[in-house]
Amino acid sequence: MVAYLFRRTVALLLVLLGLVILIFIIARIVPGDPARIALGPLATADQVAEMRGEMGLDDPFLVQLWNYLTGLLQGDLGKSLLSSRPVMDDLVAALPATFELVLATIFLQISLSIPLGVLAAVYRDSWIDNITRIISLIGVVTPGFVLAIILQLLASYYLTFFPVTGRLDPGLEFSATKTGLLTIDSLLAGRWDVFGSACLHLFLPSIALAAAGIGQVMRITRSAMIEVGSRDFIEASRSYGIPEQVVTIRYMLRVASIAPLTILGLEFASLIGNAFIVEFVFSWPGIASYGVRTILQKDLNAVIGVVLVSGIFFVVANLVIDVLLGFIDPRNRLREGSSK
Amino acid sequence: MSNRILEVSDLDLSFTTYGQRTKVLHNLNFHLDAGERVSLIGQSGSGKTVTMRTIIGTLPMPPGKVENGSIRYEGRELLTLSRKQRNRLKGTGISIVLQDPLLSFNPVLTIHRQMDDIVRYADMRNNKSRSRSARRSHIIDTLKKVQLSDGEHILGSYPMQLSGGMRQRVLIGMSLLNNPRLLIADEPGTALDVTTQQEILNLLNTLVSEEGLTLLLITHNLGVVREMADRVYVMQKGRIVEQGTRDEIFASPKHPYTLELMNSVLPLYGDKVVDVADTHHEENAIEIRGVNKIFSRKIGIIRRKTEVNHAVKEVSLDISRGDIFGIAGESGSGKTTLAKILLGLHKPNSGDVTIDNQNLDGFQGSTEFRKTVQIVYQNPGSSLNPRRTVADQLKVPLKFTGFSPENYHARIEELLDMVELPRSYASMYPHELSGGQKQRVAIARALSCHPKILVLDEPTSALDVLIQNSVINLLHRLRDEFDLTYVFISHDLSLMRNFCNRVAIMFRGEICEQGRTRDIFANPQHPYTRALLSSIPVITAEEERLKPVVSKAERDAVLTTTTELTD
Repeated sequence: MVAYLFRRTVALLLVLLGLVILIFIIARIVPGDPARIALGPLATADQVAEMRGEMGLDDPFLVQLWNYLTGLLQGDLGKSLLSSRPVMDDLVAALPATFELVLATIFLQISLSIPLGVLAAVYRDSWIDNITRIISLIGVVTPGFVLAIILQLLASYYLTFFPVTGRLDPGLEFSATKTGLLTIDSLLAGRWDVFGSACLHLFLPSIALAAAGIGQVMRITRSAMIEVGSRDFIEASRSYGIPEQVVTIRYMLRVASIAPLTILGLEFASLIGNAFIVEFVFSWPGIASYGVRTILQKDLNAVIGVVLVSGIFFVVANLVIDVLLGFIDPRNRLREGSSK
Repeated sequence: MSNRILEVSDLDLSFTTYGQRTKVLHNLNFHLDAGERVSLIGQSGSGKTVTMRTIIGTLPMPPGKVENGSIRYEGRELLTLSRKQRNRLKGTGISIVLQDPLLSFNPVLTIHRQMDDIVRYADMRNNKSRSRSARRSHIIDTLKKVQLSDGEHILGSYPMQLSGGMRQRVLIGMSLLNNPRLLIADEPGTALDVTTQQEILNLLNTLVSEEGLTLLLITHNLGVVREMADRVYVMQKGRIVEQGTRDEIFASPKHPYTLELMNSVLPLYGDKVVDVADTHHEENAIEIRGVNKIFSRKIGIIRRKTEVNHAVKEVSLDISRGDIFGIAGESGSGKTTLAKILLGLHKPNSGDVTIDNQNLDGFQGSTEFRKTVQIVYQNPGSSLNPRRTVADQLKVPLKFTGFSPENYHARIEELLDMVELPRSYASMYPHELSGGQKQRVAIARALSCHPKILVLDEPTSALDVLIQNSVINLLHRLRDEFDLTYVFISHDLSLMRNFCNRVAIMFRGEICEQGRTRDIFANPQHPYTRALLSSIPVITAEEERLKPVVSKAERDAVLTTTTELTD
């Protein structure tokens, strides 16, 4: 298991290194002079040249890359042209909101799709199966931003107790300092009113973001459960008198969860991208607005920072899934490191 | 009188699918007395497994429905019991051993987890409670009953870490955990190598006599029945067509279906054996000289260590033109690797292979090579492309060996004639054909570019016995007609005896014995060959007498028993 983890982690670092280099190259290839953009149209050619020297843009490409990488290792992502603050500080300010939204989405996806998929498989062809089938179809075919707008309309006219914008009721005074996640910090501080408000604010955006994944993973769970249910060892467990609920959860689901978990890992890739749009609709103070602004303004250091964050998130999420799969299915880790 | 364990009377059962009701069991009557070994035999589709599942109570109802009749266990009617009472009997009164020892285990749970669950939930149903360690020692004791002494080690393992024979033992141990009175075994050991199967059958016999079990054996293998059963019921299409003691059935089978089953078993010894004549060609079709194949794989954290598997060791063979050369061996003996070397799919680490007077090195992969050697795979269900018609599949090799497209049609019809299939089958898809017909298509495909040598990898093992014989006859005819040479890879020695003129026995990567089939079977020299031949279950006393007799010591000298952990 240790060897397995070690190898996965090394692979992860290599992927991230490749990602950084790739974005860096792209950022240098795109037309437009960052120094000119930073100074605006009124600056003189001398000022631009001076700025270029200051930003290190006149150095050979490899030197620039090296400087960037060494800076990165020390937590320095360069300066944002837009806000004139270190990119790191901007990210740290915007990231927790997005992170909280994405975590809530993942939580919803796992806690809804797998149980519903299991129910649909156990009560196959019954009304439960039909209802979950409709839910999953709606989830898969509706784009996140359409769903976000529909939910917002519903909340404005009918479900008025759901807030439609922001992270917290305006009247509440609270600053999340420990983790940056409102839900967790409020719990740590014992502020139930803040916690409740944060959860209500989270609910609609995370549903909008989670729907597609829920629909897809639910169907995969269902078919995996049905497939596993027809295997010999399930027949064997039943014949030895193991109760039906135990057979379903321990014997079937454990084997059947391998496929849906793998798909969930891939689903995470699109989460941050989709979060951009959903955040916009719900005025969520996350990384989205920052990301969009920096991209439009060709604020290259900031763009690299945003892409790096999504990259890290995706790679780490998949590492977690891989480890989980190795834990669930011994065949994964035994095959890799059978050093007996 | 209460020594009647199970009595099934007048049982009718039907399935309803899409509103269609089909009767699958017709007026079934049979019984088992305490301590008896009773066998239910029949081919696939005869209703054996449905019967087993109805008795144990795992047949889903609906779609299944008992129309009529009763099943009594120790005098109690099972069919009217409440679900709870019925479940209480599972594993404790009646227990089962399923056919495939790998598929019967949950692959992601340790052996201990799976065995402990069985004990724990049985305890819960019977209002007993034992501590975790008491259960553990009970499990280890049960493993000792199936002659596995290293229980601690086995319990911590996952199913994939055990050998096939050991898994089968653990599986039997699993079924014994709650001391059942009746054990139903579905094709025990048939998924294993013949020497391992022999051990498992011996174990079951020992358990019946020592543990006072009653055994219901469900199988299609008459040889196994002869070694294992006191009484026999023959089942065909959901009906019991003949019953009697083992000796009655084997000495004088009466029902035509029983006779058909008996005759389809290929004889190992005696008058019925077919000797395949040599063809008296002097030249060699294949020469193999000192071939070695070593597989290595990097393991460990930084992949610096290497795990080495010497699959083929110093093999030398001469196969004359026109031979049907059998390469026999159990799983892992290297026979498939050797076949792949012949096909140019593996490159040997050392040694020379000459095919049709050309060195394989350089020859392999050329169009000329493809026109020389072709292969027929074991399972036609997976070696044919399910989405292409028969004609399309036959065209593939023609395309790659430079046939002109205007001749395709004529050649395809010719090929179908050769394998005795109607020409209209050209437009069919594989799923429209039976197993035997699919294999004929696979043979036609292999023959399409006029090869001189065919490698046959267990070409009949996926087929029912009756169909197997017709495919074998076809292969014999084709060899005579087209002057082919066959390299026949199989673990089925009875088949080899009647199909090959020469055989080689492979054992752990080496050829331990080779020669004319008749000589090898009549007078096997190598202890492994002797052990192998002695393990084959046969159906007549005469064959039993002619088989080599191998003492336990002699056997243990060559075979590792499945009771020890090997790695």
